Amino acid sequence: MNPSPKTVSRRGVFATLGKLAAGAAAVLVARKVRAATKQVVTTPAPKGYDPFKHQWRMAIDVDKCIGCGSCADACKHENKVPRDLGYFRTWVERYIIKKARPGSGEARGETVVDSPNGSIGGFPPTRVPKDEILKAFHVPKLCNLCANSPCDQACPVGATFRTPEGAILVDPKYCIGCGFCVQACPYGCRFVSPVTHTAEKCSLCYHRITRGLKPACVEACPTGTRIFGDLMDAKPDDPLVQFYAKNKLQVLKPHLGTQPRVFYAGLDEEAR
Amino acid sequence: MNTLLLAHKGAASELLQHVQGFIYPNELNLLWSVLIVLYPYLTGLVAGAFIMASLERVFKVKSLQPTYRLSLLTSLAFLLVAPLPLLFHLGHPERCFEVMMTPHASSPMAIFGFVYAWYLMAVLLLELWFDYRKDFVEWSQTATGLKRWIYSILTLGVRDVSGKALLLDDKMGRAITIIGIPSAFLLHGYVGFIFGSVKANPWWGTVLMPIIFIFSAMVSGIALLMFLYLITCWVRKVEVDMDCLETIGKCLLTALAVDFSVEALDWIHRLYVADESIDVLVLLASGKLIYSLFVLQVFMGMILPGLCLAGMVIYKEGWKRRQTVYFLCSVLVLVGIFAMRWNVVVGGQLFSKSLRGFTTYKLELVGQEGLLTAFMLVLLPFVIVSVMIWLFLPRKDLLPAGHATGGSQET
Amino acid sequence: MPRQTIPPQITRLVLMTVMIVVAYFGARYFLVPESFGQYGWYRADALKDYQALPIHYGGQASCVDCHAEVVKKRAKAKHQHISCETCHGPLQAHVEDPTTVKPPKITDPKFCTRCHERAPARPEKFQQVVLADHNPGQKCTECHAPHLPTEAP
Repeated sequence: MNPSPKTVSRRGVFATLGKLAAGAAAVLVARKVRAATKQVVTTPAPKGYDPFKHQWRMAIDVDKCIGCGSCADACKHENKVPRDLGYFRTWVERYIIKKARPGSGEARGETVVDSPNGSIGGFPPTRVPKDEILKAFHVPKLCNLCANSPCDQACPVGATFRTPEGAILVDPKYCIGCGFCVQACPYGCRFVSPVTHTAEKCSLCYHRITRGLKPACVEACPTGTRIFGDLMDAKPDDPLVQFYAKNKLQVLKPHLGTQPRVFYAGLDEEAR
Repeated sequence: MNTLLLAHKGAASELLQHVQGFIYPNELNLLWSVLIVLYPYLTGLVAGAFIMASLERVFKVKSLQPTYRLSLLTSLAFLLVAPLPLLFHLGHPERCFEVMMTPHASSPMAIFGFVYAWYLMAVLLLELWFDYRKDFVEWSQTATGLKRWIYSILTLGVRDVSGKALLLDDKMGRAITIIGIPSAFLLHGYVGFIFGSVKANPWWGTVLMPIIFIFSAMVSGIALLMFLYLITCWVRKVEVDMDCLETIGKCLLTALAVDFSVEALDWIHRLYVADESIDVLVLLASGKLIYSLFVLQVFMGMILPGLCLAGMVIYKEGWKRRQTVYFLCSVLVLVGIFAMRWNVVVGGQLFSKSLRGFTTYKLELVGQEGLLTAFMLVLLPFVIVSVMIWLFLPRKDLLPAGHATGGSQET
Repeated sequence: MPRQTIPPQITRLVLMTVMIVVAYFGARYFLVPESFGQYGWYRADALKDYQALPIHYGGQASCVDCHAEVVKKRAKAKHQHISCETCHGPLQAHVEDPTTVKPPKITDPKFCTRCHERAPARPEKFQQVVLADHNPGQKCTECHAPHLPTEAP
């Protein structure tokens, strides 16, 4: 054998032991520092609620919406959303489809859409003259709870995530505010808050539903346009199950493959 | 973002007056500002400049030898600045480390952090180090003062400059350049993918986006190299090697032609397939983007320099005038590619994802994402590259191989 | 004894690579939050953070205990399914402290028209009036009790 065999000396053993002890001490210190670092980052608040035992969903009955804007207003109240224009977790759009020009041979004319201040305070009278209107309706918008959510896919750090019960949340303590999720959402449901500088969106009122309450928009809706329920705990007469059973359902922008889980009944092709 | 702007009451409603048609309420404030325009712009310059270096090294285009080191240094300078506009744009820049700590595997932006780190540390720095190692050892003995210190540190304590060691340096350098070519493509293709993967946005979400980004990167990188080579020679009063300049010119012309074709293909495809987004995109191109797209990007940035460069291939008169024309071409191309990035990034946010209307973008002068910040960030890599040229680019490196004696001889 | 030496450049670079990798994993050890990855690629404690947020709308159930007479009055009305907070606003603060925190009085005559003014986009079946033609100059509440609009107050 070419290399000389290692000689075991007493000094060597002590040196090794010393190194081990130093290493162990270093690990202990590292753990303490780590725990302290994490204390700063997180403050857990334990609760008797199991996220794995629920599947919360919302559905929209377009034919019931009167465009009063109570939902959008309640959402801003409940979630402390900035009151400025341009920051909405939910809003209502008004679609007015004009009649076709006489003799044009078209099925229908131009579609005029608006959502002044996201419908908060209701809609002002439309400028389209009454006799030119073919039909008109309101479409409430919120996070579509996509099963294949592009926003969650895009988040670089894991600040946006899908909860076990199907809501999609943004961790305000972890979001870096890059805005990629805002770009990735095809429905315009996200914004970067001018207050927190993090992405914000409809949380399905996670703080309410985990307490057994309805989301604020559902609570505030006077006509039952927004139907809310738990699919894991749904009896056959549950309003949500009934809604699914009795209506022909649609989702927004199905061609994008996002697989929205907010179903609409009575939606027109023009709504997107 | 426009938060400063919005702090003033009525500013939002003023913005609202510029909205045409219907936009989703959250689309009022355009999110990705001029800084995000800079990010693909700077990254593209990096990739393009590096590819020029590899042409010399791997494909043995010997006439490019005077710009070999310059292109590597340019690449490095711009790479160092490339992430800064992203960082400045973040709502929480102090949390940026999370991208490296918990990168979300499905996010192109997260993986970009690693692509960037790979490119910086495994490609550019390594290649530069192997290429410069011998010089560092020499200079650390001949230079004085601060320079001496810098060179000494950069040797990393390896002072072996025997023939065997230098042979290894050369081999390693070649190998790294070969890895570097796909890496450069990956780097900028990835930036293209960040936009191309956004299926929510029909202006961005096309498979051609990474390809377009790669070729536009090459165009801008080559133009930058031409620009810097001429400037450096003029400032240092080194004779411009016309052979080298002509080769760069031809490369630029080729890259421009390919880039033009790919972008034209993109438009032809869009117009022919005419999916639901085509109406709003045509309105966008012929309305809000008409100057930046047709005038700046296509005419000033592609057709005009393209014709000039093609003309120079045919008429070969007056070397002094040729330098001026080349210089002007490089400036035009650099501005044109900037316009291209602008059209992609800002243009993609001007129309609503409801495909029913447009918002507007008001570039602020000052502020975190204002014009001034953008201007500084464009200037910064040029400052860095100047320092690098001062430190690492002796006059002999700008001369063609015939002048520089190469090998071990001192100049 | 001739030794096969690894070139010094290589050893130096390998050393630096090891240092970078160690630094990376060391940083991860300290900087990744404790609950990260517990449920998925996110901070599981974020769920608890969300659960801990305060509520502002108390919910219908929190009203009926004290305001049984209104519930009774509304039982016959078309307004019976409307939550109290739809009109009276967020009332969790009132639930927690009924004496000092009172919901604001609804005085704006436009309040009713937000839902009931005739508009083309509203469903046909929904009760609507053109306010300009429907007893102009009078307040809605002169003829309609808000909780039971078919009757006078």
